[in-house]
Amino acid sequence: MEKMQDNLFEFAAFDEKESEHIAAPRYSYWKSVWRTFVRSWVTIPLTIFVIALVVFSLVQPLQSGYTPTVAPNINNQEMKYLAPSGEHIFGTDNIGNEVWDVVWAGARNSIIVSFVSAAVILVIGILVGAVWGFSKKMDKWMIEVYNIFANVPYLLLVMVLSYVLGPGLGTLIIVFSCIDWLFLAYFIRTQVMIIRDREYNMASKCLGTKTITMILKNILPYLVSVIVTYIARLIPSLISYEVFLSYLGLGLGSNYASLGRTISQYVSFMQGYPHLFWIPVLTLAVLSMSLYVVGQKLADATDPRTHR
Amino acid sequence: MKNIVISAKDIEVQFRVRDNYLTAIRNVSLDLYEGETFAIVGESGSGKSVFTKTFTGMLESNGKITNGSVMYHGQDLTKLTKEKDWAGIRGVKIATIFQDPMTSLNPIRTIGSQITEVIEKHQKLSKADAKKQAIEIMERVGITNAAERFDNYPFQYSGGMRQRIVIAIALSCHPEILICDEPTTALDVTIQAQIIKLIKDLQKELGFTTIYITHDLGVVANVADRVGVMYGGQIIEYGTVEEIFYDPKHPYTWALLSALPQLGVKGEDLYYITGTPPSLYNKIKGDAFAPRNPHALKIDFEQEPPFFRVSDTHYAKTWLLDPRAPKLEKPEAIQNLHEKITRMTSKGGAFHVGHD
Amino acid sequence: MSDMTNREVLLSLRNVEISFDNGGKEKFKAVQDANFDIYKGETFALVGESGSGKTTIGRAIMRINPLSNGEITFEGNRISGKLSKQEDMNVIRNIQMIFQDPAASLNERATIEYIISEGLYNFHLYENEEDRIAKVDKALEEVGLLPEHKSRYPHEFSGGQRQRVGIARALIMEPKLIVADEPISALDVSIRAQVLNLMNKLKAEKSLTYLFIAHDLSVVRFIADRVAVIHLGRIVEIAETEELFAHPLHPYTISLLSAVPMPDPIIEKQREPIVYTETVAEKTGPDYEMREIRPGHYVYCTPEQGIEYYNTSMNQ
Repeated sequence: MEKMQDNLFEFAAFDEKESEHIAAPRYSYWKSVWRTFVRSWVTIPLTIFVIALVVFSLVQPLQSGYTPTVAPNINNQEMKYLAPSGEHIFGTDNIGNEVWDVVWAGARNSIIVSFVSAAVILVIGILVGAVWGFSKKMDKWMIEVYNIFANVPYLLLVMVLSYVLGPGLGTLIIVFSCIDWLFLAYFIRTQVMIIRDREYNMASKCLGTKTITMILKNILPYLVSVIVTYIARLIPSLISYEVFLSYLGLGLGSNYASLGRTISQYVSFMQGYPHLFWIPVLTLAVLSMSLYVVGQKLADATDPRTHR
Repeated sequence: MKNIVISAKDIEVQFRVRDNYLTAIRNVSLDLYEGETFAIVGESGSGKSVFTKTFTGMLESNGKITNGSVMYHGQDLTKLTKEKDWAGIRGVKIATIFQDPMTSLNPIRTIGSQITEVIEKHQKLSKADAKKQAIEIMERVGITNAAERFDNYPFQYSGGMRQRIVIAIALSCHPEILICDEPTTALDVTIQAQIIKLIKDLQKELGFTTIYITHDLGVVANVADRVGVMYGGQIIEYGTVEEIFYDPKHPYTWALLSALPQLGVKGEDLYYITGTPPSLYNKIKGDAFAPRNPHALKIDFEQEPPFFRVSDTHYAKTWLLDPRAPKLEKPEAIQNLHEKITRMTSKGGAFHVGHD
Repeated sequence: MSDMTNREVLLSLRNVEISFDNGGKEKFKAVQDANFDIYKGETFALVGESGSGKTTIGRAIMRINPLSNGEITFEGNRISGKLSKQEDMNVIRNIQMIFQDPAASLNERATIEYIISEGLYNFHLYENEEDRIAKVDKALEEVGLLPEHKSRYPHEFSGGQRQRVGIARALIMEPKLIVADEPISALDVSIRAQVLNLMNKLKAEKSLTYLFIAHDLSVVRFIADRVAVIHLGRIVEIAETEELFAHPLHPYTISLLSAVPMPDPIIEKQREPIVYTETVAEKTGPDYEMREIRPGHYVYCTPEQGIEYYNTSMNQ
């Protein structure tokens, strides 16, 4: 025992390189995003729910074949104003249509308009914004363009444009895309300006890195989180704009199913048949809210400060 | 024997970071004597700031003192939980100066109003008298044209002048203990020298006890009566300033001293250590410095060393002082330190200044 | 170093003035009339405090800050102002920079492999993927890091390791001149020595030339061959290191030197900082210029001051 004690007082072997090793497991940004995303117990079921909801909204109308121009049961009194039941899940409306079919057809168009517009907005907005943030020359005149559009009421612009182009899916997509990209571009421009002059970008410049490479490798990776946050707000807001415009009769024309127009039609039955009003409203609420919450969770997960 | 002003015993501090616990301070004890300057040296993450924050109850909200006591005038400061319990102590009896003066100054109020506010709060004085006293204090900390600069805002002051104001505010309540937490790190070297001199002069005049936290051993040599070296959340060696500089015993103290570029010989390598301080998230086995210590003994990886007594005032926490350990000389760079530096600072030496 | 006439000038600043638009009517002159040569193979230190313009000069050499007057030449060719594509590429390959804050100067979202390869990618300085990886591994090894670090991200490293990644990134371009802007001041004290030693080792191995920007004369004495002291945008003294420390002449240099804390309690407690009043620095006029007081030792002064400095230096 005493012998062993003495051995402990020998010098230990020392390897200089030893201290250079990194013991922690390898870090990967997207893996950490995934881990953070699934950490909260609500996200998985909620995400599955949102995906199912979106897929169902896209598929169900194809199968039901509902179009607002055709009302097969309009002369069948027995099919009107039925309450929700096993046979008629959401009941039927004043002209004998299945509310179930009406609602999903409307949701489908809302989703198509918002998702397609969001995609266009993102591509244009990020590209223009990133270049805008780097180019002092471009900034001078872009900021004037932005100021003009930012100071005209948004709704007025949308209303005028959709009035000029006439109602329709394509119109709404064009209307949303051609206004909203500017706001995203401005947002990206400001973000780029904040990190543009950081030392690591200066280092890249000293290494002769081209602006486009710097945007792709140095700037955009830092903006993933703020961009996802932006999308999380953008999609629900586009849905609600579509609904709102259609409600006013400015969005999708009467040839298209729309939650907005459905709500405006059903609002008069509020007294006698409240389910007609509440079902599309609640469907809209559930759709927007769940998209927003999942988006926010994703935005949180993409923020490396939440990684461990 | 001098009187003990404040006495920390077996302090352990833990921080909750998400779901993990970080033990920032691992059983540190320290007695401070009246009127002395005790310097705490260490790298970032060694716990030097955290430790002294237990004296003023200023730990971040996720931090907690999980063991030990801080006795001050018969009261255990670790037991104070409510803000109002601290009222007569923090900023009054125990004041702190931080690295960044702007943490203590309000950017949108005039310098003068910030000093008078503190004076009025703690002494019952009329507005005019408080202002008069504030200007006196400003002059005392070296603000020229104090009366004219009374109504300036912090941004109109330079970094060094702001730090002077923070010192003025800290001292306006006549504290018993002044904690200087890297007060000159953000300042230029020439300003640093002036601020250090100011603190020392004021201490002579007012007789408060100073705790000086720094990573710079040159500053320690200037200010300290006694020194504690911190590493991995512990004090690993303490002694009088002469003992620490001329007769250091812990290999980490050796490393800190020998790595100073002041001692470097051109064309030769500086003494250096590799690696990084230990992660305090994990339980530390043995001597925390062992993995970076080229002189580590096998036992350093097994068992935590106790404090070995070097003299009545000098203790070091290293197995090298155990009688069973092999004898080891300190690195060449710090042998005959005083002779070397005397040569450097006298006529013909590299750091000689003045025209004598 | 010893024979002044045989030395080859690598970089040269002539009448360099750098001003910034700070919103006011008058432009703020961060650097005025800076003149110095850096010789091949030496470590030239530029010492000053915050706001002295030392970093501004470093960045002007890296062409981040444009000059408002004067010119900078590298191997005899002008590198300030507009350059052709070929010249631009040449300058980038030959002059590289090490930054002060290793945490801020590395792209946190890129792997070490990408960060070190960045310069190689930009000019396609490799034959194939294998060659690129080999070059990265070699650069890592030269700074004491390991091949396994390639797939790691900067935040996984300690400050000293990160700074060495920054050095490897510059080194892989095989530059002739490295501008090191306070490369150790953001590091913990225990690892500063390692980075300084590394810089010295690399200089010898690769016959590099350094412009070493610092605020601390103790580091400068250890690493530099020649020193320029800069105060409020104006270079006030230039000399070889030994000469400058043996005969500091400008009162600002003396004040800086007196402020270096010495790790010796008995001596340090007796040392008094020599305060340099700014009014002296602001003193400038037609009489003031850089005058050679002793061989190779220049001070910004009037002829009268020059005589005075000369006399004091004889008594030192």
